[in-house]
Amino acid sequence: MIGRLFGASLKMVVRDRQSVFWALAFPMIFLGVFRLFSFDSVPATSLIVSTSSAPTPPQQVLIDALSDTEFLEVTTVVGLDEIAAAAAIEDDEADGVLLVTASGTGEEARLIHGINDPIGSSFVVAGIASIVDGVNIGLAGGPPAITYVTESVDSDETSFFEFLGPGIIGMGLMTFATISLAASLSRYREEGVLRRIRATPLPPWKFFVSVVSAHLVVACVQVIVLALVADALGANVLSGGVWFILVAVYGTLIFLNIGVILAGRVRGRGAVEGAANAVTMPMMFLSGSFFPTDSLPDVVQTLVEVLPLTHMLRALRALVDGQSIVEQWPELLVMTLWVAGSFLLARMSFSLRDS
Amino acid sequence: MTVTASVIDAHGLVKRYDDLLALKEVSFTVQPGEIFGILGPNGAGKTTLVEILEGLTTPTEGTASVLGIEVTRHPVEVKARIGVQLQASSYHQYLTLREILELFGSFYPRHADPMELLRTVHLEDRANDRIKQLSGGMQQRFSIVAALVNQPDLVFFDEPTAGLDPDARRDLWDIVRGVRDSGATVVMTTHYMEEAESLCDRVAFMNAGEIAALDTPSGLVRRLNAPYRVRVTTSEPLDEVPLRSLAGVSEVTQTQTADGYVAELRASDAPRIAAAVASLATNRAALVHDLVILPATLEDVFLAVTGRGLHG
Repeated sequence: MIGRLFGASLKMVVRDRQSVFWALAFPMIFLGVFRLFSFDSVPATSLIVSTSSAPTPPQQVLIDALSDTEFLEVTTVVGLDEIAAAAAIEDDEADGVLLVTASGTGEEARLIHGINDPIGSSFVVAGIASIVDGVNIGLAGGPPAITYVTESVDSDETSFFEFLGPGIIGMGLMTFATISLAASLSRYREEGVLRRIRATPLPPWKFFVSVVSAHLVVACVQVIVLALVADALGANVLSGGVWFILVAVYGTLIFLNIGVILAGRVRGRGAVEGAANAVTMPMMFLSGSFFPTDSLPDVVQTLVEVLPLTHMLRALRALVDGQSIVEQWPELLVMTLWVAGSFLLARMSFSLRDS
Repeated sequence: MTVTASVIDAHGLVKRYDDLLALKEVSFTVQPGEIFGILGPNGAGKTTLVEILEGLTTPTEGTASVLGIEVTRHPVEVKARIGVQLQASSYHQYLTLREILELFGSFYPRHADPMELLRTVHLEDRANDRIKQLSGGMQQRFSIVAALVNQPDLVFFDEPTAGLDPDARRDLWDIVRGVRDSGATVVMTTHYMEEAESLCDRVAFMNAGEIAALDTPSGLVRRLNAPYRVRVTTSEPLDEVPLRSLAGVSEVTQTQTADGYVAELRASDAPRIAAAVASLATNRAALVHDLVILPATLEDVFLAVTGRGLHG
């Protein structure tokens, strides 16, 4: 009996297009769309280096130094003047033109650029200036008075997409669990299924448990599928291992409970679905699914610290980052409080009696 | 008939919801093999009464024994042996007919084969369809058969033919009779008087939380003050005052139709009153086109119960 009941509940979830949408399509759309942006690579600036005739040896040294620079894409031409350079920029042939001409005492390098972005242009201008200086010093032959070396402290910095991966998976679990379960339960109530079940000798809690556990099983499949997809797209979530899956499913319990609470407290199917959206949509942003929450005002930060998704995402990201599950105890503690509290409230909120 | 043999034995059932008294001391019995109808206007207490008998609601006072089991004390045992059909869809929209019957069958210790059940209501070809793909009549037929998954000894039907066309309704009547003939007792609510008249062995009329009348359909009609209708069609309108003053006439309505003037009287003694009406017409030099004596129906009982009270 339990097997058949669970099977039927599972079919009800899997055959419901709305549930499938929230479980898979919705988070996958986010994964796909965010993947299209390449946040991590700054586009190279194209630079035309023009010499009045075939490059002289010092000019060639400068050209080589510029070509070695990562953020520049250098092409060399011969014999552009200022007007031709401006026209080339106007026609989008290049972001900038460096006119290198022989003057009385040596070489003159004049940069003409059309970069509108003030930060980008000062970065490029300063970069080129420092390369020119470096070449000057090198050509002068003397040893540099100060050698400038930079070193990034976090050599293994996580990319933005690695930040997004756990965020989108957590968001997907939350929206599916809360919206789909709340919608299913209110539909069962509205269509008379709950009443019909009550007219059979089946203990109502068995029916209820079968519906909730069917959603939990779908959530397990969901987190595995989304983790594989996110990992394939480069979010590296599989490095979170089995604990990643377990923490994600544990957090889903909270969102299932919230779904039960909403279905119990709000009357009418449309209103329940609206309420479920109203709960999950702000939470997905406030808990930092897509962007770090550090820049939010202090008052909102307090709210952020209370939300269960915040702690679930922190734990998931830390696991992806290679931290151990034991180190996540503060997040797991908050999640456990949420699991227990939301379960008690869910028990009080939803009664099969009034259907 | 002995009390212990009754399929249903309700005694002094009272149901109070806050300020509302939904049932006031309802007592009745239903015998094995009966098709028992519960009729009455909306809000009369039909649903509350049926829900108590189905073990879905507990009465504030009173007792009800269903199939010999005290339903308030052992609702699960009662639920295992009864069948319940509810209005509206009431079934999982994403499961096929067969899957629903298998699922509901699994709730009971004793259950029938789903395909066999579907055959009895001519839905075997639709076993893999879902509820939404069925016509209204098919949905009703399915909801009836879904109440039979546990081969129940007692079945409750809630307005089984609501919203159906006359053909589909007659189909369903045959199915309900078939259920009874297979050995089950049937309790049904309905809003259709001709349905109760044609299907039910006995009918209980409910009004304002009480059973206002309970008898066979013809018994109820006989107990009316005026068990006949006399309808006379004349070329000229009749004077209503002498019509009303005829002994045994309780209600007069007169309308003009394409056939002439139609006067309708509710009458206790049809032949004498018909003769008196005919002579009134002759006095007014009106031609009598047509004169019919009709027996009263459950419709008249319904009006009497809900409107003017019932005598006898």
